[in-house]
Amino acid sequence: MQDTQLLNEGLALMGLGMGFVFVFLTVLVIVTTLMSKTIGRFFPEPPAPVATGARRRPPPGQDDDVMVAITAAVHRYRHRHRR
Amino acid sequence: MTEKLLTLWYGSGLYNLSLGQAVMVLVGLGLLYLAIAKKFEPLLLVPIGFGGILANIPEAGLALSAAEQAAHLARPALLEQMAATLQLGLDPAAGVEAWRHTVSEALHGDLSPALLRAANDLAMDSGFAHGMLYQFYSVAIASGIAPLVIFMGVGAMTDFGPLLANPRTLFLGAAAQFGIFATLLGAVGMSAMGWMDFSLNQAAAIGIIGGADGPTSIYVSSILAPELLGAIAVASYSYMALVPLIQPPIMKALTSKREREITMTQLRPVSKLEKIVFPLSLLILVVLFLPDAAPLLGMFCFGNLMRESGVVERLSDTTQNALINIVTIFLGLSVGSKLIAERFLAVETLGILALGMVAFAIGTACGILMAKLMNTVSRMPINPLIGSAGVSAVPMAARVSNKVGLESNPHNFLLMHAMGPNVAGVIGSAVAAGVMIKYLG
Repeated sequence: MQDTQLLNEGLALMGLGMGFVFVFLTVLVIVTTLMSKTIGRFFPEPPAPVATGARRRPPPGQDDDVMVAITAAVHRYRHRHRR
Repeated sequence: MTEKLLTLWYGSGLYNLSLGQAVMVLVGLGLLYLAIAKKFEPLLLVPIGFGGILANIPEAGLALSAAEQAAHLARPALLEQMAATLQLGLDPAAGVEAWRHTVSEALHGDLSPALLRAANDLAMDSGFAHGMLYQFYSVAIASGIAPLVIFMGVGAMTDFGPLLANPRTLFLGAAAQFGIFATLLGAVGMSAMGWMDFSLNQAAAIGIIGGADGPTSIYVSSILAPELLGAIAVASYSYMALVPLIQPPIMKALTSKREREITMTQLRPVSKLEKIVFPLSLLILVVLFLPDAAPLLGMFCFGNLMRESGVVERLSDTTQNALINIVTIFLGLSVGSKLIAERFLAVETLGILALGMVAFAIGTACGILMAKLMNTVSRMPINPLIGSAGVSAVPMAARVSNKVGLESNPHNFLLMHAMGPNVAGVIGSAVAAGVMIKYLG
């Protein structure tokens, strides 16, 4: 008698608890997705990726200049050290 | 001369050592061995094991309150006084030893705090004092502080990036919490069958082991079933250390080789603003839906906000390192103080250890099954192996997912993908803890 009552309470707590955990995390998924979308739309910086992207692909002209300068420097350095 | 020698002998540990205490000292040494030689969660098992040895030193009473010490050592007159305070009847014919037993049993039973305080005051008036470990326990765990401070540190160490990049992994963290509730039902069932004698509160505290989250299970059991705290904490930390042994067989049994080889799409980068807003939105949800989880998740969000805001580097650093280390020491010793022979050596402890293992296994299985379910529904491929990381145990469970994934496909790195469900599991078990406390506390 008392045992079945304990079991029933256990079952009730299981249903309630598991249900609540799922509801709460579902709401959290929705809120998080909305939050990410809102931030993506209204603060569209993502500053870090844009900045690194820009740095990775600099204007081709400047790139060439830098390459020339580095090549010249390396060349001169090797030349000087060979003597 | 012989009389003096005899006094020395009667006061020695060897004379007073009971069999239970000897066994518990061995248990403590066993925990130390696991921690030092096998590297099982050494940060916790070293303090817990050592605390367990200290708590079982005969006659020292390090883990006992003043009243409990008085019950063991006091003169009969004081015992009578204490019994009167506690509203106990002492049988005059039974003798002093029986009186001591009655009084100490009463002190361990369900006493109102007011009566307990009165008994303690009476004992202190006669020169008895609280033991050192008892003091640690009341400051660190009975007050609920230590697990919460540790949760703040965990928050400050957690990177929600993978979770924010793929929020649906939160479902995996939710599914793995089924282990908690299935174990609760198991514990209740064992009592119904008459094998064990667990109340609903105790069953709930045991179930939380399945959350695989040490601080959460200590917090919950300190509220719902402080008498089982020692066994629950030991079970919970030992199984966390055993994650790499328990999980892989279950993971392999439930997935096919093709499923294990699924490659997941690269996670999108997450902006700093999103990471700052996330703990705040989680906090608001807790405020709106489950204020009972507020202590745990509130501290967690606070720690995470300190980390992500980037303006309180010093506080975040202290929380992650110095503070969490200090608190861990006292938490471990306090848990050790609950390994007193009379309380720990019971059939219930074996039941708790067995149920804890089941809880872990069910949680792991449910996470994987949920991932398989999501895989059939969603367009984005999900490797079922990351489902097992839904039982918290950060970051061990995620590492296990990664390792098992690499065994099937050496180029498939699942670690970052598994971190999502892993931190979701922390949130999930804190929510489950909140529900339990709301329902039973």
